[in-house]
Amino acid sequence: MRLLSAGGKSQVLLLVFLTISLMFIIMPILWVVLGSFKTTFEIANHPFSLPSSWKFDNLREAWELGNFKTYFINSAFITGIGMLIVVLTACPAGYAFAQMSFPGNKLLLYLFIFGWSLPVQAIIIPVFFQLKSLGLVNTLTGITLVSVGMALPFSVFLMRNTFKDVPKELRESAYVDGAGEWRAFLYIMLPMAKPGIVALMVFTFMNIWNDFLLPLVLLISEDKYTIPLGLLSFQGNNGANYGLIFGGTLISMIPSIIVYLIFQRQFVEGMSAGSNK
Amino acid sequence: MNPLPVQSAVNIRPHLQVRHWSRKAKRFAVVLSFLAPSLLLYGLFMLYPMFDAVRLSLFDWDGASPTMSFIGLDNYMNLLKDDVFLQSLFHNLVWVVISLTLVVIPTLVLAVLISKVKKGRLFFRAGFYLPSVISLAVVGVLWAKIYDPLMGPINVTLQKAGLGTLAHNWLGEQWTVLPALVIVGTWAFYGSFLILYLAGLQNIDPSLYEAAEIDGAGPVCKFFSITIPSLRYTMNVVISMVIIYAFKGFALIWIMTQGGPFYKSEVVSTYIYKSAFGMNKVSYATAGGVLLAVIVITLTILFNQWRERRE
Repeated sequence: MRLLSAGGKSQVLLLVFLTISLMFIIMPILWVVLGSFKTTFEIANHPFSLPSSWKFDNLREAWELGNFKTYFINSAFITGIGMLIVVLTACPAGYAFAQMSFPGNKLLLYLFIFGWSLPVQAIIIPVFFQLKSLGLVNTLTGITLVSVGMALPFSVFLMRNTFKDVPKELRESAYVDGAGEWRAFLYIMLPMAKPGIVALMVFTFMNIWNDFLLPLVLLISEDKYTIPLGLLSFQGNNGANYGLIFGGTLISMIPSIIVYLIFQRQFVEGMSAGSNK
Repeated sequence: MNPLPVQSAVNIRPHLQVRHWSRKAKRFAVVLSFLAPSLLLYGLFMLYPMFDAVRLSLFDWDGASPTMSFIGLDNYMNLLKDDVFLQSLFHNLVWVVISLTLVVIPTLVLAVLISKVKKGRLFFRAGFYLPSVISLAVVGVLWAKIYDPLMGPINVTLQKAGLGTLAHNWLGEQWTVLPALVIVGTWAFYGSFLILYLAGLQNIDPSLYEAAEIDGAGPVCKFFSITIPSLRYTMNVVISMVIIYAFKGFALIWIMTQGGPFYKSEVVSTYIYKSAFGMNKVSYATAGGVLLAVIVITLTILFNQWRERRE
């Protein structure tokens, strides 16, 4: 009995400590969320108080004045199409690496993994001139294709690990029934890999939606900007208007926070899988 | 018992050989149909640009003129004599040291504490991970406001507490700018490491702790004698990722300081970007990029080898 209450006491202490640390860590986020409902005067003088009245002026004004609607559509296009292509190409490749034996299997896989450690900054300049010669600079098509190419090393590796975990017997039983590779892949293996595919989609969403360097280099006119790039120019145009900037910041961070909260489990599992093997 | 020569076997039944070859070709076509789409996109937008980067770095080119002249390794030689480039490289190293200090052990302690929670563990995991979900553009804009010398909450709080002398122009002074940026980077990235640690902690055999408790070991002793040795693999991953992130970092610095004041927060990637798109030194910047890639890939390989040797 004494032991139990001692354990309870240390649990309470632990919870108090963690809660205070958590408050401290997410204070910057709280500051923005609260601030986007306040006037700039309020933000400066009462940074962490609740807004005196919950006004949506900042959010509405940022959305309309700041072109966030355009940025949002661009981000959604690049991320949506990019995710689609990544899933359609990384799944079969991951499957081939995990389940098929062919000469050069290991070597090709290493080639993909190599791309994973290659920093984007090292190749961004040739990529820019490559797109320029293709006439794809400042187009959503161009940046989508490049984003996919750069997302593939990790994606293929993740799907390879996913398909490694699917028992080989399943595939063999499909052969006995006379199914070809593609049939076995589409109807038997792919459904088994669903959790991995969801994780892949969440990762790809986060990476493309939040990316900064590729849009900065490859997109030039404001009507092509994505949200992160748009936020930066919005901030530049509204220097001291904190309320407005916080409105834009809140709009920028809501989508990824929502996706994260919905798919938290897949996200965490995918991340542990990506680095533990 | 004389075995049939293989050749004659083939000659006797040539149709079998043909079928064997056509089966091989078919097999190749099937494998290719699985791999080709991803290989094509990856090759086109990562592998090809990498070769192009190496080629471009051997020329002198401003990005616009129709001709470029071959100059061999001159770009690399000049980089190694360029004070700003060397300073940038040094700032990357400072970044490595500070972020290793801030991340490796503190995040592990946090993970251990969260893993001890009986109810609400998932809530804390989700909460502490939240900063990592936000885009670096948002993080940069947000923290630039936090560090604002006049209206930022840090200086406002210091002033209110009567510690106004401690207030700084955090992003505008040469001694504070780099640490201030590393703190932001740490805030934005530690969440991933926390998740890795939590996953690693789950794999530790609980009987190890029970045995230690019977021997009368306290929490600190258990931490050093069981937790850290058991998590050696995860810690290696975390350390290597921290180092690689430190060399890859771009967005936060570009958004918050653009390398200033007076190059005091310049890192290799911001300097490359500036040289290529601001000063038209395209091939020179490309050489800088190749050097960056060499550094990062060498570090990755070294870490993998070290890890394999220790296992």
